[in-house]
Amino acid sequence: MKPAILAAALLAAAFIVPAGAQAPPEAEQCATCHGAEGRSETPNVPSLAGMPAEFITLQMILFREGLRDAPPMPQFAQGLSDAQIEQIAAFYASLPPGPAPDRGPRDVALAERGAALSARMHCGVCHLPDFRGRAQMPRLAGQREDFLAQTLKEYRDNRRVGTDTQMNAVMYGVSDADIAALAHFLAQRD
Amino acid sequence: MKRATLALGLAATLAASPVLAQQTPPVPGWQQGRPDSMAASPLAPHAPRLTVTPPDQVPVAALRVPQGFQIELWAHGMPGARAMTEGEDGTVFVGTRAIGRVYAVTEAGGQRSTRTIAERLTEPNGLAVRDGNLYVIAINRVLRYDGIGRRMGDVPQPTDLTSAFNLPTDAHHGWKFAAFGPDGRLYLNIGVPCNICEFNRDTHALIVSFNPDGSDRRIEARGIRNSVGFDFHPTTRELWVTNNGRDWAGNDIPEDSLHRIRRSGEDHGFPFCVGSWNDPAAGRRNCSEFTAPAALLGPHTASLGIRFYTGTQFPAAYRGAAFIAQRGSWNREQLSGYQVVVARLDAQGNVTGVEPFLTGFRDEANNRFLGRPVYVLPRADGSLLVADEQNGAIYRITHRQ
Repeated sequence: MKPAILAAALLAAAFIVPAGAQAPPEAEQCATCHGAEGRSETPNVPSLAGMPAEFITLQMILFREGLRDAPPMPQFAQGLSDAQIEQIAAFYASLPPGPAPDRGPRDVALAERGAALSARMHCGVCHLPDFRGRAQMPRLAGQREDFLAQTLKEYRDNRRVGTDTQMNAVMYGVSDADIAALAHFLAQRD
Repeated sequence: MKRATLALGLAATLAASPVLAQQTPPVPGWQQGRPDSMAASPLAPHAPRLTVTPPDQVPVAALRVPQGFQIELWAHGMPGARAMTEGEDGTVFVGTRAIGRVYAVTEAGGQRSTRTIAERLTEPNGLAVRDGNLYVIAINRVLRYDGIGRRMGDVPQPTDLTSAFNLPTDAHHGWKFAAFGPDGRLYLNIGVPCNICEFNRDTHALIVSFNPDGSDRRIEARGIRNSVGFDFHPTTRELWVTNNGRDWAGNDIPEDSLHRIRRSGEDHGFPFCVGSWNDPAAGRRNCSEFTAPAALLGPHTASLGIRFYTGTQFPAAYRGAAFIAQRGSWNREQLSGYQVVVARLDAQGNVTGVEPFLTGFRDEANNRFLGRPVYVLPRADGSLLVADEQNGAIYRITHRQ
């Protein structure tokens, strides 16, 4: 993003952070892409509302330490203290989760196929049966479908790791079609 | 080449449903070997903490040591602090896993300071110092920082020895422990890249040694599932290693184990046996064909760092004993480990007992933990350092009459 545009976006963001929750000043720029209430309208950018705080904190530190790359996040994370990161994480964890405003209609057959795959792959063991996530494991319910599909492919293709490599092993060899079904099923969950 | 062929539940499942087999992904490492009866078990590895724990939140007040000993917070602010080794000048180097850093703790004029001397590495847990040079072994790299002690403020570019060592690059159980032996060789572990699986017994589940330049690889022990801690006995010079037992075989089996390696190349039994326990997932074997563990260290305790104590500050009963840090369990309904134990040896080198030494990390009532002790390091003054990975802290244990 060019500086001028970024500046304008930041200015706009300052006005659209929800009034109910206390947003730390560092979170203002987050809203530009991750959505005013933590529900992203930006393709391939995740919603953060209702994420486990621990997950956000760990990912921000991976960005800051240069261990995960998803531009422009490493740049934004530079110079943030642990305390600032934890404030941002607590803020987004406190926001009520919900689907992206531009979520599409449910494809019943695709969602059912995704549900069966999810059951077989035990996604709900770590991410919990309602997919709200816990600790280092993110909320999946209601996440952007495009982001889920992109992320699952990144894990499968070893272009991303978490704080460990569990998801790489989970996704090894999973087809694009199965990923599409999983992403649709999870995105349609509330 | 010997191959271990394992009849696993997974393989049976695939064979029974060939249509599904093409789509079923391999089971991730931490789920491997999990029986159907445990498919819905909520047990999962604990999250690391990568933020700084403020010193007033480090749980030193909850920790317990035997009468006559004291424990204090020695260094802090090092998220993920794990394996420790000491340089010739007294600098304590500290490796990590997820956060990718190597720290150094230096003391001058009574003041202790910590700094990050390397970062952006993949789980740089293996550290060893030789002739003033620091060896850092990450999952995918072997680096040597020459003359590190004199250049702490201006850390030199390391020499990359990765290709000379030519280690496997598997991420799972790929993090290393490292130590120079009394023979001047560099000793490393190579863990099995799974919980339990088919693997090559000549390339994985090994302790290996090299010349410091990475040449002349030698297998010191095979059938060691995943050891990330070892030390050499102060008088016999034999290598003693801790080992992490497999997951999902039950709350109480198998136990982690301590192995005494008397001759290079001995087979210690993984995946077939831990002591007299023959793993049903690995096929029937007579466990007497393998070297038995010197001691069992409790189920799922995650026994990592071990060091023999040769100082004089602690009472005589501790001289020649081995301190072992137990990071603590995830694959057990009731937490186990989360302590430092002491293993005492008789004159023949047989372990006569293993008992708790540093406790208090485990909150039994709530089945939660306050910290994760991972490595121990005796110092020249006879004190003992203990690294707490979860709190990024190092404690010092001393003894006064």
